[in-house]
Amino acid sequence: MKFGLRFAVAIAALGLLILASRPGVLVLAAASAPAIAINIDHAAPREVEETTQKALARDYATAWQAMTEALDQNRVDLLSSNFIGTANEKLSATIQQQTKAGLHQHITDQGHTVDAVFYSPEGSAIELHDTAHLQIDVMEGGKVIHSEDASVHYVALLTAAENSWKIRVLEAVPAF
Amino acid sequence: MNKAPMEGAVKFGGVMTIALLLMCCFVIATHAAELNVPATVAAGSGLTIPSTGSGSATLYLVGPGTAIKRTVQRGQGIQLSAEELQNAGRYVVSLDGDSATFFVTAGPAQSIAFLARPSRVPADTPNVVSGTAFLFDQYQNLVLQPQPVKFELTVNGQTVSRSATTKNGVAFTKLDSSKKEGAAQFVASSGAASVRRVVQVVASDPCSLRMTATRDKNGILARTDPIHDCAGNPVPDGTIVTFTSTDAKGKSTVDARIKQGIAEAELPASNNATISVASGVVVGNEIQWRGGQ
Repeated sequence: MKFGLRFAVAIAALGLLILASRPGVLVLAAASAPAIAINIDHAAPREVEETTQKALARDYATAWQAMTEALDQNRVDLLSSNFIGTANEKLSATIQQQTKAGLHQHITDQGHTVDAVFYSPEGSAIELHDTAHLQIDVMEGGKVIHSEDASVHYVALLTAAENSWKIRVLEAVPAF
Repeated sequence: MNKAPMEGAVKFGGVMTIALLLMCCFVIATHAAELNVPATVAAGSGLTIPSTGSGSATLYLVGPGTAIKRTVQRGQGIQLSAEELQNAGRYVVSLDGDSATFFVTAGPAQSIAFLARPSRVPADTPNVVSGTAFLFDQYQNLVLQPQPVKFELTVNGQTVSRSATTKNGVAFTKLDSSKKEGAAQFVASSGAASVRRVVQVVASDPCSLRMTATRDKNGILARTDPIHDCAGNPVPDGTIVTFTSTDAKGKSTVDARIKQGIAEAELPASNNATISVASGVVVGNEIQWRGGQ
């Protein structure tokens, strides 16, 4: 089962890699953003509007896509559109240290189950509880140092920017 | 066909499979025992991982803000420094192929990110000031353990205070604005951490609007009394007041700004007009003008 899943993911990744290597398919990156299901029923004290829910799902998925690419390719420049403040600083530090140590992380994002747990009264900040289903490979060049399939719990704090939501805090936690 | 050699081979294969499985389990168990890490570590406290055997080995540590590769000596405690474990999150540690994961959790609250909205509010309005406080430890990790937070709104020496407890790292409150205008000090504090914001309380809409009218060389001069909100605060200069005069010739409207507390407008001369005044949603008195009578 696990092998089957990995095989399917590997085939899909290979397909994407082949497609991505062709000119003019950069737009595919948007289509390959992870699946995000956001439940807004528990958000308080303010209710999350439908348009906000859609924007959150879009921006959070884009951020995860950017983060996985940044950690895989060791590119800090991929973070700035989606991460600000502490989240940006910590991810940038990870990438800088990965580069120094010759490491990178290949994360296959298999989707997120997200609960909005706090939406500030004036609508400028939102907190999410995200259970991310990930296949994580820590690599040194082409050598796999660590590999696992994991469901990781994340607390994410997003703030409203001009026309998108940006991640200010992203912390993995043992449990919610 | 002789089945015996075939059965023997099958049995041998089964025994070999079980033996291999047991060997694998033993190898996994012994390796797992080598990397004995706690499930959670407090941020900035460091960690010593016991190791067995001898000789050198390569240690990898990957986590938030951290990615380290270094050579360590087996048989000694492997030190992960406080600096290497500052950031809350999930870490992977690997030693020559054996790996384990653990979490770093936030320490005590040291700082507050405080959102106070809006920056300017009308006086004497319920639930109009909102404050949201996020608590962070000294390494800028969100503190998820419940913590007490105090919100205080002070204007002209009068303080309104609310206590809250963080949930998922955040606490919030909603407060009424003060009756009197002025710069309100809005403070969120938790333990030794404290953050101040200023919320400007301004007069609300006019409470009542009263005007008088007098003949003037060019027509009719309409002038309000000093304009206040319902708490007695003078409505700010620049607020628009609309004067309207209606007579047989039609309607004349003049938008005037409050200046030094009052508003005035010159309306066309008329012997029989109805003059009214309004500001925002507030309508003032009406004057039946009969040629100055």
